[in-house]
Amino acid sequence: MTSERRAPSTLFASLRVFDISLGEMLWSRRTVFMGLVVGLPVLLAAIVRLLHELGAPGMRVNNAAVTGPVIFGLMIWVFFVRFSVPVLGVFYGTSLIADEVDDKTITYLFTRPIPRGAVVLGKYLAYLACTICVVLPSVVIVWLLIVPIGGSIAGSFVDLVKDLGLLALGLAVYGAVFAMIGTAMKRPLLVGLALVFVWEPTAMALPGYLKLYTVAYYLQGLVPHAMPGESTMSLIQSIFRETPSFLRSIITLALIEVIGLWLATRAIEKREYVLEQ
Amino acid sequence: MSQRTRYFMIGSALVIVLGLGVGAVAYYNGNLPLTGRGGPAEFAYLPADVNGVAYANVTTIMNSQFTQRLRQVLPTGDEKTKLQAELGIDIERDIDSVVAGTVGFGPDEHGLVLVRGRFNTGHLEALAVQHGGTAQEYKGKKLITFENSPYAHGGGGAGDQVGHSAVAFLEGGLLAFGDRVAIERAIDANATRQNVTGNADLMKLVGEVQAGSDAWVVGNFEAISRSKTLPTEVATHLPAVQWFAVSTNFNGGVNGTVRAEARDEKAAEELKAVVNGALAAGRLVSGQDKRIEAMLNALQVSGMGKSVTISFTVPPEILDIINGVAAAKHLSDGSGTKVKK
Repeated sequence: MTSERRAPSTLFASLRVFDISLGEMLWSRRTVFMGLVVGLPVLLAAIVRLLHELGAPGMRVNNAAVTGPVIFGLMIWVFFVRFSVPVLGVFYGTSLIADEVDDKTITYLFTRPIPRGAVVLGKYLAYLACTICVVLPSVVIVWLLIVPIGGSIAGSFVDLVKDLGLLALGLAVYGAVFAMIGTAMKRPLLVGLALVFVWEPTAMALPGYLKLYTVAYYLQGLVPHAMPGESTMSLIQSIFRETPSFLRSIITLALIEVIGLWLATRAIEKREYVLEQ
Repeated sequence: MSQRTRYFMIGSALVIVLGLGVGAVAYYNGNLPLTGRGGPAEFAYLPADVNGVAYANVTTIMNSQFTQRLRQVLPTGDEKTKLQAELGIDIERDIDSVVAGTVGFGPDEHGLVLVRGRFNTGHLEALAVQHGGTAQEYKGKKLITFENSPYAHGGGGAGDQVGHSAVAFLEGGLLAFGDRVAIERAIDANATRQNVTGNADLMKLVGEVQAGSDAWVVGNFEAISRSKTLPTEVATHLPAVQWFAVSTNFNGGVNGTVRAEARDEKAAEELKAVVNGALAAGRLVSGQDKRIEAMLNALQVSGMGKSVTISFTVPPEILDIINGVAAAKHLSDGSGTKVKK
C-alpha cells in the first residue's frame, strides 16, 4: 500500500506563502520608502503639537480657528487618502509577482506543489498585513498628537474608527487592482502610476460618469472629513462632486477587490512567464 | 515568521489598540485626564443630554477694542452700578467666563448658567437668604432656592420643584444659576461624570468652534425646534438642520461664523439657497444704503457636504451707525441727551 502525498489546499498554501513573504516584504528597501511616506505626517503632527504646547498662536482661516480635528481631517485627505494609500498600493501591489519575475525566482515558486493562485493570494495577504501595520499606527499617532489641540478625543473617536476602516479598505482595494495589473501586464509600475496620478485625478475632476471607473470615487465617499479646498483640483472636484452612498461605496469597493484578486489569480494560472536570460 | 517580524507586528497592533482604547474610553466614559478634555472645565457640570451650550470669555470680550469703543458710544447703564452696589460684583472685572446650557423640551426644559469669577460667597449667600432664599445642601454643595420664582422654568414632572429657581456654590469661584432641577442635574452630572464631554456629536462641534473663539454657541437644532422656541412657520420652512454652531471673535470689530449641519447634502443645498435668497432680499430692501450694503457684503456663505457656513464681520464703523441712530432718536425725542462720539 502506497501513501499518496496530497497537494495542500489553496488557503493553506496561501498562508504558507504569506508567512514567507511577510518578513521579506517588511524588511525590504521598499519599507524604508513606506516609512518615509507615513513618517512625514507623524513628524508634522509632532511639530504642530510641540508648537501648540510652546504657546504658538493657532492657525486661523477666514477668522475661524483651525482646530486639531480639522487639521487631522486635512492630513487624512492629503497624506493618506490621496497619496499614501494609492502610492503604496502601486508600489507593493505591482511588485507582488513582478519582483519574482525580475529576480527570476518565480520558477522556484511554480515548482512547489501548490496552486499558482495561492502565490498571489499569499503575497497579497502579506502586502496587506505589511502596509496596514505601518499605515494605521501612523494614523493613530497623528490622531493622538493633533486632535487634543482645541478638540476632544471623544468627539473625534468615531471619525478615527471610520478613517482606519476606510484606509484599510483602500489599501486592500488598491492592492488587489495593482496585483492584477502586476500579474497581467508587462510594465505594471508605469501603468499603476499612470492610473493613480493621471487617470484617477482626471476622471474625478471631469463631469459625467467617468469617475465611476475609479477607486478614488468610492473611497473618497467614505471619508468623514470635509474635503480640503486649497487646490484648483479640489475646487474642480467639489463643483462636480457627487458622493456615492455608504452602502454603494462599500459594495463597489468589495466587488473591485474580489474581482481584482480573482483576475490576478486567473492571470497567474494562465500566463506563461518567459524569463529573460 | 521571524522573531523581529513578529515583534514588529505586535508593536503595530499595540499602537492601534492603544489608540482605539484611549478613544473608546474617552467616547464612552467622558474623557481621560491625559488626553485633554475639550471644552471648558465647567462642562463637568453640564448633563450629557444638553440640547445646546454657550460659552463667553467675559474677560477677553470686555477688554476687546470693540467693547471699549462700544462703551464710549453707548452710555453705561445704572444697572451695572446697582448690581455692583448690591452684590459686590463688577461684571467687567469679577466675571471671567459664562457657560450656559439647556436640557429637555417644552415644559420639561431646564436652563443652567455657570459663572466663573471672583465672588464674595458669604455676602452673596447672606443676600440671597435676606431676599427669601432657603439655604440647603444637595450632595455636599450649598444650594439656595427661591420658591415660585418668576424666573424659574416650570419643571413639569418634578413635583414640588415646580417654579423653584436656585443658586448653587459649586466650587470656589464657580456659581450656578437656574431652576432647581437643572442645578441638581448639574451636581449629579459632576458626581457621576456623566457629563456633556461624553456627548460625542456635540463635543465634535465644540472642538471645532472653541479654539480662538471668545464666545460660541453649539446646539441641536432639532431639539430647539421641538421645544417650540421657534415660530412654527419658521421651523417648518427650514430645511432639515441637525446641528448649528456660532462662534465669534472680538477684536477691533466682531467677526465670526454661523455653521449649520444639515441632515444630508440636499438639505444643505436648500439651506444655502434660503440664506442666499434672504441676503438677496436684504440687498433689495436696503435700496441704495451703502452702510447696509456693506454689512450684507460682509456676509459670506459657503458650504461643503452637509455643512453650510456663514462668515460675518461687524466692522467698528457699525458703532458709528449705532451712534448716529441713537443721536437722531434723542433729537427727535427732544430728550436732548448728548451721545458721546
